[in-house]
Amino acid sequence: MEPVITGTETLTEPTVGTIPPSQGGAAVATSKSPTRIALQRLRDDKVAMICFWIFVFFVLVAIFAPVLAGIEGQSPTERNFDLIDRRTTFPIIGTTAEHWFGVEPRLGRDLFARWVYGARPSLIVAGSATLLTTIIGVVVGLVAGYFGGWVDRVLSWLIDFFLSLPYLIFAIAFPAVIISMVYGGNEGTTPEQVAKVRFISLITVLSILGWAGLARLIRGQVLSLREREFISAARVLGVPTRRVLFRELLPNLIAPIVISASLSLPGYIVAEAGLTFLGVGLMDPTPSWGVTIASAQNYYDSYPLYLWVPVLGITILVLALSLLGDAVRDAFDPKTRR
Amino acid sequence: MRRLKTTVAIAAVAAMAVVGCSSPSTSTNEPGGGQGNIPGQEKTVDPDAKGPAPEVQGAKKGGTLTVYSQSTPNTMDPTDIYYVDSNEISKLMIRTPTQLAIRNGKAVLVPDLTDLGTQSADGLSWTFKTKGTFKYDDGSEVKIDDFAYAIKRSFAHDVFANGPTYQMQYFKDGDKYKGPYTGGLDYAGVETQGTDTLIIHLAKPFVDLPFYMTFPMFGPIPQAKDTKDNYKNKWLSTGPYMLDSYTPGTQLKLKKNPNWDANTDPVRHQYVDAWDFKWGVDDVANQKQVLASVGADATSLNYGDIDASLVPDLTGAKKSQLVQGDSPCTIVLQLDARKIPLEVRKAIAKAYPSDQIYTAGGLTDLTAEPASTIMPPSVAGYKKYTPHPDLTGTGKGDPEAAKKMLEAAGKLGFELSYYYDNTKPLPQQTSQIRKEALEKAGFVVKPIGVATAELRSKVGDYDAPVNMGQSPAGWCSDWPTGSSWFPVLFQTHSIADGSSWGMLSDPALDKEIDDVSKLPADQAAKKWAELDEKIMGMYIVIPRYYNKMAVVVGTGVGGAEGDGTMGMPFFLNMFVK
Repeated sequence: MEPVITGTETLTEPTVGTIPPSQGGAAVATSKSPTRIALQRLRDDKVAMICFWIFVFFVLVAIFAPVLAGIEGQSPTERNFDLIDRRTTFPIIGTTAEHWFGVEPRLGRDLFARWVYGARPSLIVAGSATLLTTIIGVVVGLVAGYFGGWVDRVLSWLIDFFLSLPYLIFAIAFPAVIISMVYGGNEGTTPEQVAKVRFISLITVLSILGWAGLARLIRGQVLSLREREFISAARVLGVPTRRVLFRELLPNLIAPIVISASLSLPGYIVAEAGLTFLGVGLMDPTPSWGVTIASAQNYYDSYPLYLWVPVLGITILVLALSLLGDAVRDAFDPKTRR
Repeated sequence: MRRLKTTVAIAAVAAMAVVGCSSPSTSTNEPGGGQGNIPGQEKTVDPDAKGPAPEVQGAKKGGTLTVYSQSTPNTMDPTDIYYVDSNEISKLMIRTPTQLAIRNGKAVLVPDLTDLGTQSADGLSWTFKTKGTFKYDDGSEVKIDDFAYAIKRSFAHDVFANGPTYQMQYFKDGDKYKGPYTGGLDYAGVETQGTDTLIIHLAKPFVDLPFYMTFPMFGPIPQAKDTKDNYKNKWLSTGPYMLDSYTPGTQLKLKKNPNWDANTDPVRHQYVDAWDFKWGVDDVANQKQVLASVGADATSLNYGDIDASLVPDLTGAKKSQLVQGDSPCTIVLQLDARKIPLEVRKAIAKAYPSDQIYTAGGLTDLTAEPASTIMPPSVAGYKKYTPHPDLTGTGKGDPEAAKKMLEAAGKLGFELSYYYDNTKPLPQQTSQIRKEALEKAGFVVKPIGVATAELRSKVGDYDAPVNMGQSPAGWCSDWPTGSSWFPVLFQTHSIADGSSWGMLSDPALDKEIDDVSKLPADQAAKKWAELDEKIMGMYIVIPRYYNKMAVVVGTGVGGAEGDGTMGMPFFLNMFVK
């Protein structure tokens, strides 16, 4: 559903009166930008704030993963074969003071260390993909919508083209292509190189396939905005095109951009874990929740901790981000407020 | 060597390279008790076995058994069958000149359609006589020419590319004859006399031919009913069961063959009414289902090795649902003797992290046993001699001691390289462990990652720039004697054949092996054991493990035991409780 912007023509226009009476509490009589108003609404939303702090918690976990693993005294890659039962490949310990979440079957790597480090790829991949799709989508949408004519036709065609690319096939084929381009074939690449290529290609794939939706949204908004008086005025005054695009139009697009970004972030986290689970995303030795879930899937009843810890990590993070995204949309768009 | 089930092969490949199997010997095995070592055994032969086969204790008639597996047999054409899964299944339908019965867990060579054969004085021809008359499932009679035709058919290797190939080395003109489709029916290697005598002429003595005659490709096929490419979809049965319906890759249903006479068959039973093979299931989920044995699942089994994640479920009554047995295979890591000097090979063995790789590779004591010999326990001649230092298949490796050995030899920084599959987690992790351990010992290690699809050809290329880990990374007996091992793996020609362990090429050793292969089977067994110890002492392989079979059956399945010659459950004695 496309978020609709109402009453937010420009930062330079007074906004009083554009806020529905029901939001009267937030509608202070002096000039306050719609963004600030939205943030104020967001701060008043308890669910949004809880979700935000959960998100911050995970970001901190990812940033301080080495510190956390250091407190526990374990590394995510060190194998502890002495903790593995040779007859079954199951660990002989559960959760202990040394291994807070136990260890992996077979290799005996510490699950807590892998969990905290595993938050990193999820957040980095999702964050980078969100950033890239937003930048590309906004620029393409702005240019296409503002210039119109053949530029619009070409860019619109591109948008349609990328929207029609088969996502899974592309995601599966892309890493192999990159590996052969960078290293001249799969042969001789080390696991670290492959893992790095997979990491980069995952971000690339998600970005390439993700920007077109936002671009189309932005283009639509720009098409309607560019006929407004303040844009015409800017043109008449001889404001350079770049300035019109980024100083006049862009501020009016903050709402759809923020909403789109906050909703796509959890989507990319799920996509990363999903592709990894299918074996085409990240791979060992990169610690990642998706990698752990893929190898733990057969252990759901015999060694639940192995599977459920990363699953819970992803679930809580995605749920929090989704609710936060909804709240952001509500805050920016009073019409959808419940 | 005999080909493993695809899944097993993949596991072995995962560990590092392709298990090659091609030949001969498997003997008899005991469904092991789970702990302790696999009991070795002497080859046993019972020329006087007669039908009907001895009743299985507590056996009942009736019911349908459902058999599941994730891996799919590649073909059901008797001539093309080499993999153990289709071979074991074919025993229900295809009777062969001789057959291996499982008695008290041991494989015993017994007559099936013919006697066990007599060898001529010069060893260059074998004579087999049929014992009575037999019928195909359509009621027509089995003729002696049908045996000869089936043998001729096995030379059409362009059509049946997967089948065993010993006949081409051993049979007269075997290297020239191209089968009945392109080479005509005139072939000097087989001859029939009267209505009951089949004579096979050889190019060189082949003492273990009667064991080879247990392969389904030796089962009679009437020329008039041979449909060549299409025979794999619809074949004639001589055994207790016949084709009901077959969807390649998915399902095979068998029903009773009314033209089978129990009194002529010393091995097979016809306890159940029907068999239903279903392939392509998810093994782990299916094994759980079989273990739970709810409703129809009680009369089902899964012949994939039990997944490690299910082992903790095997408690109490469920323990009896696990059927264990031997496999005819030894899995090793090759060291190329052409490129690595002996002292360095010894240092590799000293540093090798066997235990870590065993566990990281997902092996459990149910599916593997650490190896210290070339021949596995199921082969006649297997002897558990005191292992050479560091060649025990166990141990964590001793990098410091290995480093000293390397320094003493002046080879510090010796470069080792091997191929591994870098697209799958398991081989990647084991490769990493191996690399770290060997680097600690002062080697320079260069693992070369390749994609799964290329791995087979890469590890099979003996001119490739690597010096360890070539294929075959394991060997499985085709019949249970040493002649299925040493002449195939350790002679100079093995390198050209692409089936060498360690790339040995020593004329003296070639001769020694040739001499032993000419001995009668019972005398040869001891000699093979001595050779085993001698060759192992050259440190040309690091022995890893002997495969074991561990599969789950439903609570309603009776008579389940392992066939150690195949590493598969033995279907012929099974019944519904």
